[in-house]
Amino acid sequence: MNKLLQELQQAAAERETRRHFLHTCSTGLGAMAFGSLLQGCNFLTNNDRQNNTVGSTIQSDEPTAPHPSAYLPKAQRVIYIHMAGSPSQLELFDYKPELAKYDGKDCPQELLTGKKFAFIRGVPKMLGPQGKFAQHGNSGAWVSDYLPHLQGVVDDITFLKAMHTDQFNHAPAQLLMHTGGARLGRPSMGSWVTYGLGTENDNLPGYIVLASGGKQPDAGKSVWGSGFLPTVYQGVQCRTDGDPVLFASDPSGMNRDIRKQTIDAISEINQQQYDDVKDPEILTRIAQYELAFRMQMSVPDAMAIKNEPQYILDSYGVDPNKGSFARNCLLARRLVERGVRFVQLFDWGWDTHGTSADGSIDIGLKDKCHQSDQAVAALLKDLKQRGLLDDTLVVWGGEFGRTPMQENRDGQVLPFMGRDHHLEAFTVWMAGGGVKKGFSFGETDDIGYYGVKDKVHIHDFQATILHLLGFDHTKLTYQFQGRPFRLTDVAGKIVKPILA
Amino acid sequence: MKSHWLFVGVAGVGVALLLSSFLGIFEKQVDYNTQIKPLLNKNCIVCHGGVKKAAGFSLLFKQEALAPAKSGKLAIVPGDADASEMIRRLTLTDPDERMPLNHPALKPDEIDLLRRWIDQGAKWGDHWAYQPVERPGVPATGSFWSRLTSYVPGHGKNSWAKNEIDHFILDKLEQEGLTPSPEADRATLIRRVSLDLTGLPPTEKEAADFINDTSSDAYEKVVDRLLKSPAYGERWAGMWLDLARYADTKGYERDPGRKIWRYRDWLIKAFNDDKPFNKFTVEQLAGDLFPTPTDDQFIATGFHRNTMNNDEGGTQDEEFRVAAVIDRVNTTWDVWQGTTFACIQCHSHPYDPFTHDEYYKFMAFFNNARDEDVTSDTPTLRFYKPDDSLKVVSLKQFIKTTVTNPEQAQKTVNQVTKLVRTVEPKINSHDFDQLVNASLLDAKYFGFQDKGATRIKNVTLTGRPRLLIAWGTKATNATVTIRQDKLDGPVLARVPVPKTGSQGNDTIQMIPLPEVQGKHNLYLSLNSPTSPKDWVQIKWVSFQPLLPGQPMDSLGEKDKLLLDILNADAPQTPIMLDGTGDLARETHVFERGNWMVKGKKVSPDVPKSFPAMSPDLPKNRLGMARWLVNRNNPLTARVAVNRFWEQLFGTGIIETIEDMGTQGIPPTHRDLLDYLAVEFMETDRWSMKKLLKKIVMSATYQQQSSASPELVAKDPYNRLLARGPRVRLSAEAVHDQALAVSKLLSQKMYGPSVMPSQPDGIWQSPYDGDKWKLSMGEDRHRRALYTYWKRTAPYPSMVTFDSPSREFCQLRRLRTNTPLQALVTLNDPVYVEAAQHLAAYMSNHGKSPEGQIQAGFRQIMLRDLPSKKLAVLVRLYRTTEQYYREKPGEAENLLDRPGFDCTKVSPQLAALTVTANTMLNLDEVITKE
Repeated sequence: MNKLLQELQQAAAERETRRHFLHTCSTGLGAMAFGSLLQGCNFLTNNDRQNNTVGSTIQSDEPTAPHPSAYLPKAQRVIYIHMAGSPSQLELFDYKPELAKYDGKDCPQELLTGKKFAFIRGVPKMLGPQGKFAQHGNSGAWVSDYLPHLQGVVDDITFLKAMHTDQFNHAPAQLLMHTGGARLGRPSMGSWVTYGLGTENDNLPGYIVLASGGKQPDAGKSVWGSGFLPTVYQGVQCRTDGDPVLFASDPSGMNRDIRKQTIDAISEINQQQYDDVKDPEILTRIAQYELAFRMQMSVPDAMAIKNEPQYILDSYGVDPNKGSFARNCLLARRLVERGVRFVQLFDWGWDTHGTSADGSIDIGLKDKCHQSDQAVAALLKDLKQRGLLDDTLVVWGGEFGRTPMQENRDGQVLPFMGRDHHLEAFTVWMAGGGVKKGFSFGETDDIGYYGVKDKVHIHDFQATILHLLGFDHTKLTYQFQGRPFRLTDVAGKIVKPILA
Repeated sequence: MKSHWLFVGVAGVGVALLLSSFLGIFEKQVDYNTQIKPLLNKNCIVCHGGVKKAAGFSLLFKQEALAPAKSGKLAIVPGDADASEMIRRLTLTDPDERMPLNHPALKPDEIDLLRRWIDQGAKWGDHWAYQPVERPGVPATGSFWSRLTSYVPGHGKNSWAKNEIDHFILDKLEQEGLTPSPEADRATLIRRVSLDLTGLPPTEKEAADFINDTSSDAYEKVVDRLLKSPAYGERWAGMWLDLARYADTKGYERDPGRKIWRYRDWLIKAFNDDKPFNKFTVEQLAGDLFPTPTDDQFIATGFHRNTMNNDEGGTQDEEFRVAAVIDRVNTTWDVWQGTTFACIQCHSHPYDPFTHDEYYKFMAFFNNARDEDVTSDTPTLRFYKPDDSLKVVSLKQFIKTTVTNPEQAQKTVNQVTKLVRTVEPKINSHDFDQLVNASLLDAKYFGFQDKGATRIKNVTLTGRPRLLIAWGTKATNATVTIRQDKLDGPVLARVPVPKTGSQGNDTIQMIPLPEVQGKHNLYLSLNSPTSPKDWVQIKWVSFQPLLPGQPMDSLGEKDKLLLDILNADAPQTPIMLDGTGDLARETHVFERGNWMVKGKKVSPDVPKSFPAMSPDLPKNRLGMARWLVNRNNPLTARVAVNRFWEQLFGTGIIETIEDMGTQGIPPTHRDLLDYLAVEFMETDRWSMKKLLKKIVMSATYQQQSSASPELVAKDPYNRLLARGPRVRLSAEAVHDQALAVSKLLSQKMYGPSVMPSQPDGIWQSPYDGDKWKLSMGEDRHRRALYTYWKRTAPYPSMVTFDSPSREFCQLRRLRTNTPLQALVTLNDPVYVEAAQHLAAYMSNHGKSPEGQIQAGFRQIMLRDLPSKKLAVLVRLYRTTEQYYREKPGEAENLLDRPGFDCTKVSPQLAALTVTANTMLNLDEVITKE
């Protein structure tokens, strides 16, 4: 195996050097990067990735090998918790006592003129906050009684309270949040990060996605797709039923030992083939088959939550036999602990329009909070206790906010209390990995309609996450269809005040 | 060219040269395109280009670069580098002044090059790919030829080159000091060419026939047979589906189904019929604009109806209509011009010669299309069932016999045909305004309740006394009043709304209107006292002329016949169709690409840096399509030829097939590209089969793909083609090969997409209840291109092998090599089933394990395994057979699957299945060698 690896590295190094040479000389683009020779198998140095001016074929043989950041990163990995559908900031974090005074009154015309809403038509009524708010921790963060467990960990959190977006429908807003563009087809944040940094554990995919809530997020798999980046960087969804990774189980009637023998036979014959035809791609294939075999073991092992002690299961509120958001939080910790670079959680069911009890802010939202609150708090505590929170960035949020008005879909009074999609203001939070502890950034107006201070756009938010991981977001680019693309499109400013 | 210059210079010394610097004679002329433009693009253009013009200075266009900058200074003074501000600023030491600002200084030789270029007159050059395609000379088999003969064992003088392609390749190899490789063995060659041309491996018999054929045209016979095979069309349609972003769903959040497979079938037939590429192009882009389009020409326009539709609640149809139009512009440029036009949606092109306005002029070609992101996917072409078809015929017959003036009769027939086949022209209800007690229900179709009202703007009523309304409601006793000009204006009609059971279950009604002249606003108001809260939904309305012989104020017999036809249940496929008259749109520039901020009005045209549209072409999509395939379009043929080359060799002559512009990677064999492009257009009259034949008949293509370590070191990516292509199979070919060699593959062609075996839980759409329903019978084993393609959850094993999701046009699949691919071919039940069937074949075609393994391998690779490899597999077979003998239950577990005869379970068959599974995972098997 060692010999094989050496051979692979040697062959690929020669090829890659030649490739750089070809490109740099024939196009006059990019700097001559002989660095690859000096860095073992990290053929694409981070510098290359940050200034990818060559053609868009990445044929590095170790495309996910770890790469150093451009400068010292504060975060080594990310757990991104996305509450798909978008929780109401006005019930959870953005305390607006003034809004209560307007409860039931007609929405002033100036908040409606020239605005578009997904479902509100005509003149809706204002709707006061439904949660009971109090300040918590030494930082005095406002959190409502919907999230009792989170109240206990606010001193580890930075709240961004004046987030705003451009999209008021779920799918485009989720795409904007995760890919920097509202239309399908761009790489997701996790793909950019694994493209830029590789993975620390070569027995596991570098970018893993866990979904709960019974459904995929509205924008589908595109929110963890690799877009125009090579597919090796796309998020691998670990499923809660069946094989955690598709086709990771051997066929029934084939045990591990037989599978090992088949892999060995494949490798042996492929090695003979390489000796004959000298195509370096064959060496890569041998390595990938061996990795596949290891992944068949390591993925189920990482997912084997039953091995956790009871007190951990209890702290997250996990039933190990059931797929749930809480289970995914615990899995997220197990995965980052094993060196997975980007763990993306999606929980479906946070869209609270008031059209049904489940989709209401007084009943459904409370339930969703109840099902998730303990696990999120436990995750932060667990990471902290293991010393992982210092260099793991945890992000929590939806794709947009919710209106201070009560939704009146098609001009009707709805049976339950709900709020429409709102793009002007919402709250997300971050913890760990280089952000301030017990901090709140940004303010909205008295009724939570507009951000009035320290507004943060989606692209700013993305620029900041990349910064924490050690990237200059303007330089982490990829050449596609004739121009360099990046996560933050043509915008994005780092939100410096929240950096620790 | 480099080495020749000196001779040309010396020989052709003339007045002009004497006048220039004396050194100029000995100096090589600097070439703008290859030497200067890359330098400018890399170092300068980000700030001094199309997007930014820092200090009022831009290097994008010559006139801009030679004009004074904001400072009044001339950056470039042709003929005088010392007087040029640009050179001064490049050479300063003060970092605040020195260019490029905040970046490393240019290297001395680079500055020297710029200096020489300016001294030589700062000659500008157009990018080569924008210049007309001219037939280049075929490199002569020159002095190197004699040397060559000694390199190629077993070949006489001049014998390596089989056609002109080889001359170009050899010329370059010679320059690089390389020699071509010998021809591949016949088994490898027939597998390669079969996989390339049909996407399927040859059968053992086909291979044997070829191997034993001693005639001199044995290979050509194989090629001709493959080009005639129906599988050819399937393979190349598969490629084109990525470009057409074909899918069986509409995309975006809800991603519901869309029936557009007739377009896919059209593609297969077009490739099989070898429809010339120019016709192939025009029909897809503008088949609907022919004077009397055939069904096939309509279906072909499905190409641009593969854009996504957003059915998510709360979305604005206009926003996504515009998104689809923009996608059509970008895709047209991507596919036919290999040019990233999308950049100039927001600003002038940073590198290539296109301006912001030109984007919108080009968009104007597409902006009249009638599709408006309506949930029904309208407009569609309707296919009537036989009984209803007869009704259509009888209606047309009636018109022809009733209307005496034949011209008038034909006009009426055309108008009625358009109506019954496409249900156009019509006004979609999302355009209604001034809503009272009304709403766009789920942001899709207009609906109102009791006392509700709305306006339909600017309707031309002259000669259109028949109103068609498609509506649905569960309300009883509802009445709609239609008034002219005002909410309380004169009543044109008062009609009871038919109760259809639900708002979605709509029916088309015809309402006679009195004769009214001119354009008017119409007001609809609803009276629904019995069920005031029930919605009355309207999908669309249409104002039609009177059919001949029908009474004015009530419905006649033929009115009812027409209505019957319109209400008939008919399968449909989305098509392109342009709006005219009131339905034509104006196109405006979108400021900074924002569709809500409209700038000046523009009319359709092509960019100025390209040859103009010939005056006899109409300024519409049809004219644009014809312009694309005009002989003087510099890009269409080059892009097409490059794409086919890439499909066969794994890499294009220009690697970046998506970008032929100045930012793309330059061609490895530019003259060859131009030669093939000219041949394609002129000699072969756009025949794709002839182009492909030319390429596969070349000696270059037929070389063996193995290489010496020296050659790999010298040309790791085989750009110079001193060896044959060696490339991993496409997602489709990996799948189809496994089914073909295990005899599972169905030969069935065409029809709705199928759902083969897929793991549970892949489809989790938030709202619609769509389910993956396993297809029955042979539909479980169709070729991969027939697999149902859901954009937000595409078939997983295909995506793992680098299929795009088909949300947008993808011009090139990047080939990856990942562990997830290994898991697919090792463990996906589709591949395990294939292994099992291959094992059954093996067990019937050999007496010993050795013989059986050889039989299986021959089935896949058309040749015997060498003994060393055979030994590995025999060893594997023996240990697994031992295992299954000891554990018969495990053999049963492995082999027990639906449709398998359980009495055949044996340790031998289980071990052969494991062996076959192993073989199907060998590198050489999933690679085209």
